[in-house]
Amino acid sequence: MSTDERNTTEGGSPAAAPASPKPYWIGIGLMVMGAVWLYAGFGLPQGARYAAVGPGLFVTVAGAGLLVLGAILVLQISRGETFEAQDAEDADGSTKMDKRAFLTALVAVALPIGTMGPLGMPFTATLSFVLVANAFGSRRWWLDLVYGLILACAAWFLFKQLGLQLGRFFPPLGV
Amino acid sequence: METFELLLHGFSVALQPTNLMWALVGSVLGTAIGILPGIGPALTIALLLPVTTALAPTSAFIMFAGILYGAMYGGSTTSILLNTPGEAGSMMTALEGNKMARAGRGAAALATAAIGSFVAGTIATLALTFAAPAVAELAFYFKPTDYFAITALAFCSVAVVMGTSRTRGFVSLFLGIAIGVIGIDSMTGQPRLTFGNMQLLRGIALTVVLVSLFAVGEILYVASRYRTTPGVMAPIKGQLWMTKQDFARSWKPWLRGTAIGFPMGALPGSGSEIPTMLSYTLERKLTKHPEEFGKGAIEGVAGPEAANNAAAAGILVPLLTLGLPTSATAAVLLAAFQNYGLQPGPFLFTSNPALIWGLIASLYVGNVMLLVLNLPLVGIWVQLLRIPRPQLYAGILVFAMIGVWGLAGSWMDLTIMLVVGLAGYVMRVYDFPIAPVLIGLILGPMAETQLRTALAAGQGNPMVLVSTPLSAVLITLAVLLLALPILLKRLRANA
Repeated sequence: MSTDERNTTEGGSPAAAPASPKPYWIGIGLMVMGAVWLYAGFGLPQGARYAAVGPGLFVTVAGAGLLVLGAILVLQISRGETFEAQDAEDADGSTKMDKRAFLTALVAVALPIGTMGPLGMPFTATLSFVLVANAFGSRRWWLDLVYGLILACAAWFLFKQLGLQLGRFFPPLGV
Repeated sequence: METFELLLHGFSVALQPTNLMWALVGSVLGTAIGILPGIGPALTIALLLPVTTALAPTSAFIMFAGILYGAMYGGSTTSILLNTPGEAGSMMTALEGNKMARAGRGAAALATAAIGSFVAGTIATLALTFAAPAVAELAFYFKPTDYFAITALAFCSVAVVMGTSRTRGFVSLFLGIAIGVIGIDSMTGQPRLTFGNMQLLRGIALTVVLVSLFAVGEILYVASRYRTTPGVMAPIKGQLWMTKQDFARSWKPWLRGTAIGFPMGALPGSGSEIPTMLSYTLERKLTKHPEEFGKGAIEGVAGPEAANNAAAAGILVPLLTLGLPTSATAAVLLAAFQNYGLQPGPFLFTSNPALIWGLIASLYVGNVMLLVLNLPLVGIWVQLLRIPRPQLYAGILVFAMIGVWGLAGSWMDLTIMLVVGLAGYVMRVYDFPIAPVLIGLILGPMAETQLRTALAAGQGNPMVLVSTPLSAVLITLAVLLLALPILLKRLRANA
């Protein structure tokens, strides 16, 4: 009934972990966020006229919580807390990060902020489709362009039918 | 007796042709996304939330329930044939199921999983049928104090149970709570943390956060650590389904798995991971064939798969009776109710019985559909795995983008998608649990309203929060949940 056997059958990651990262920045980031929320909370009324608790209390609690948790995290990291990347269905947590693939996918996610309004959803979605496919190692971009365009147009018409406000098809041409 | 009448009425709703069609759509979609990597039930329902504007609530919830149940059925298929558990709930299935598949018994493993899911799903739905009205009856007497205590306990257990450490669980929870306070305060109309931005006044929608964390975060993460060597699919062609002996070895684990899964699913934080693990451990202890465990024991598939499905029904009890979500999927379902202006809870049972009982009846119908869809047609479903990964993940981003943009056509939502998506990436790299963010986001505002109502009624005296027996017990439990592990550690260190 020992549990060690279960550990070996679970997942395929090798036992030798790479040097454990020391992500102090996460703890510090949480503390900064907590401070912002705390500051905003103090700027709001803590007590309303008849109720004992005003709109500020929960903001203050959330801010204080993040601040304390960030500090605890920093302390834990300094004491050698380990962080192992999660395994996903198609991802291996123990492999090194592929920076190019990550950045390509990130551009695909950031792209809509600028193009969704002026160039429309089908165009934006097609472009993002090609970028993500490329990040995952697809090298036939012209084929992805076709796939992406078909999917984006089909989705645009389908969801439009369902009553979603997706904007114009291709705003530069006014359609 | 009354329950029977209501259930019969529910069947008359669920068996209407349109609702049958939506149940089928949900079941097919659920099975498909259970098989496909990178997309689960919570994300699918979130992406479909916009259809709530065009669909009657009963039809929409019947479809969503099909997705919830269907994903549990579909998840087992990849675990068994490919050894790639899609969700945490199918991890245990992969252990024995894939060994069975590699030993040429894949068809039997799939059959025990599907039939076990059906048995568990049906029994658990039966339990839901009788438990839900009883709990709702009790909940009529709950005061804001009690509701606040329930949410406080849910917060603690979610943060403690999910994830690798309590600190990380609470970090996720508080991130959710912090996002939840953004926007106009519902009680005083005061803008909070909007930084003068008009678009932030309406707050940050659960859909945006969920889609960003689950879809965008996952795409960024998998892209950065993509496993290019695909798994080898075990063949099932021409194999026998279950033999008599397989049945004899499966039926008890099915029932035990149900008995574990249903109540555990109803508890906040346990999700489907803990009941399946418990069921696996139990079957391993009770089996007459201990030598087969780790090499493909059928009990190790039957039990966890049953527990998995029973837990899916279990989460509906607190959701429908108290409006309390205990998992990411339940959080989206609650958001769907809110989209319709409905608040799940005891009053929904009296004000909208057609919806509640139609939904419950559709669960019975959906289970039958799923058994038929999954058992004979599994060969068709596995073809879905032929979709090449680059185009699959690219497609998921397209739908994510539509889901976010379609909400309000706001570039602010798209910016939030980028930021929260990056956060989802970081959470995966440093192993922070994701579900507590969503629970905090949707339960935070509810906890705040209950807290403020309770305190206002008690004229500001904080003792009002423990003034009813139930609230006192629940708050004590929450404190224990927090303090106990620390105390135990101290005691052990001293001993």
